[in-house]
Amino acid sequence: MSQHVKEITGAEYEREVAQAAGPVVLDFFSTECPPCEALAPKYEAVAEQFAGKATFLKIFRQGNRDLASKLGVTGSPTLVFFKNGQEVGERLGGEDIKRTAIKAQVEAMLG
Amino acid sequence: MAEKYDVIVVGAGPAGLTAAIYASRARLKTLVLDESVPGGQVKTTHKVSNYPGFPEDVKGTDLAKAFSAQAERFGAKVRRAVEITKHDLSGPVKRFELDEEEEVEAPAVIVATGAKPRDLGVAGESRFKGRGISYCATCDGAYFEGKDIHVVGGGNSAVEESLFLTQFARSVTIIHQFDHFQAEAAIAEEALHHPKIKVIWDSEPREFLGEKGLDKLKIENVKTKEVTELATDGVFVFIGYVPRADLVKGLLPLNPWGYVETQEDMSTQVPGLYVAGDLRQKKFRQITTAVADGTIAALAAQKYVKDHKPVAAR
Repeated sequence: MSQHVKEITGAEYEREVAQAAGPVVLDFFSTECPPCEALAPKYEAVAEQFAGKATFLKIFRQGNRDLASKLGVTGSPTLVFFKNGQEVGERLGGEDIKRTAIKAQVEAMLG
Repeated sequence: MAEKYDVIVVGAGPAGLTAAIYASRARLKTLVLDESVPGGQVKTTHKVSNYPGFPEDVKGTDLAKAFSAQAERFGAKVRRAVEITKHDLSGPVKRFELDEEEEVEAPAVIVATGAKPRDLGVAGESRFKGRGISYCATCDGAYFEGKDIHVVGGGNSAVEESLFLTQFARSVTIIHQFDHFQAEAAIAEEALHHPKIKVIWDSEPREFLGEKGLDKLKIENVKTKEVTELATDGVFVFIGYVPRADLVKGLLPLNPWGYVETQEDMSTQVPGLYVAGDLRQKKFRQITTAVADGTIAALAAQKYVKDHKPVAAR
């Protein structure tokens, strides 16, 4: 199981993301989504690498529709980046999310 | 120290995994690399109806898993979600750096990286990717429960996935640039008679519009030049594929469309380097043709490895 990526629900979004200090990455995932399966180990590896510096969260889209529509997320996987509760940078999505691309965005937030 | 293999296959789609089945059964030490999970384009295809051996439809994801399990059964190592961060395929020993930390090498490499969904390349597309525009129906279909959505394209993928999307959406409107489908007659007819599916012929998307998310799609009728704005909850794009040639770009000549020309045995001008599957220049790209390419590449690579092994190791 994931040690460095914590799963949250829509109800925890305010506390875990909007009011969080420091960089947060949020992964919207779905079931029956091979690109989501592909992202999981890469996301975990980056989370491990930045442990203590940035927070890595994931949220199950099907169970948290309201938050997905509030943020306008319509695809899985989607990575959304936040700094001090504000969305920053570009969202990453689809099958081609590279480990190096996630790292680059997190490094930019830590900049 | 780099870990040594006999054959490294890049891309775990039907071509790559078939190559791995043949190579590992030939007792070659075989490694398969994929930046995603195994299956290539098959894994996100909701069902496959034209692959022999399955009298009933098979789910793309199940077929993908079966290909992979079969390769692994014979000893091939299938590495998932691995990123090639450096590579040198030009010499007699071909090397890869993985995830910036590991090295692997082999005398023979089969590149079966395939193709990825083609972007439309119209205004607003990159802005609304994942905010209303999708390229994978199995991944994102459920986001559009009860919604009115559009599908762009008219080939097998577009029509098959439109039928799949009717499970979720209230309506599916297909926008196609010609006045008939390119899809196989069997599914084209099913779509044309489906109560939830409507088709707008002779039309192409021109722009995606919206405030925060996608709200509207502007299309042009290519015959009358009439431009229409359609309200939409989401758009799925299935207009074909572009080759993933990054690994061999600069090393092998690409045709004007970015595909690699090979010999009949899948070999290239670089000894020990083979290209199989959708990345190859050929007329028909099907799971069955990819599987054939993978077979041939593995048999050719097997002979190459045998002929080039140091005498002591034979």
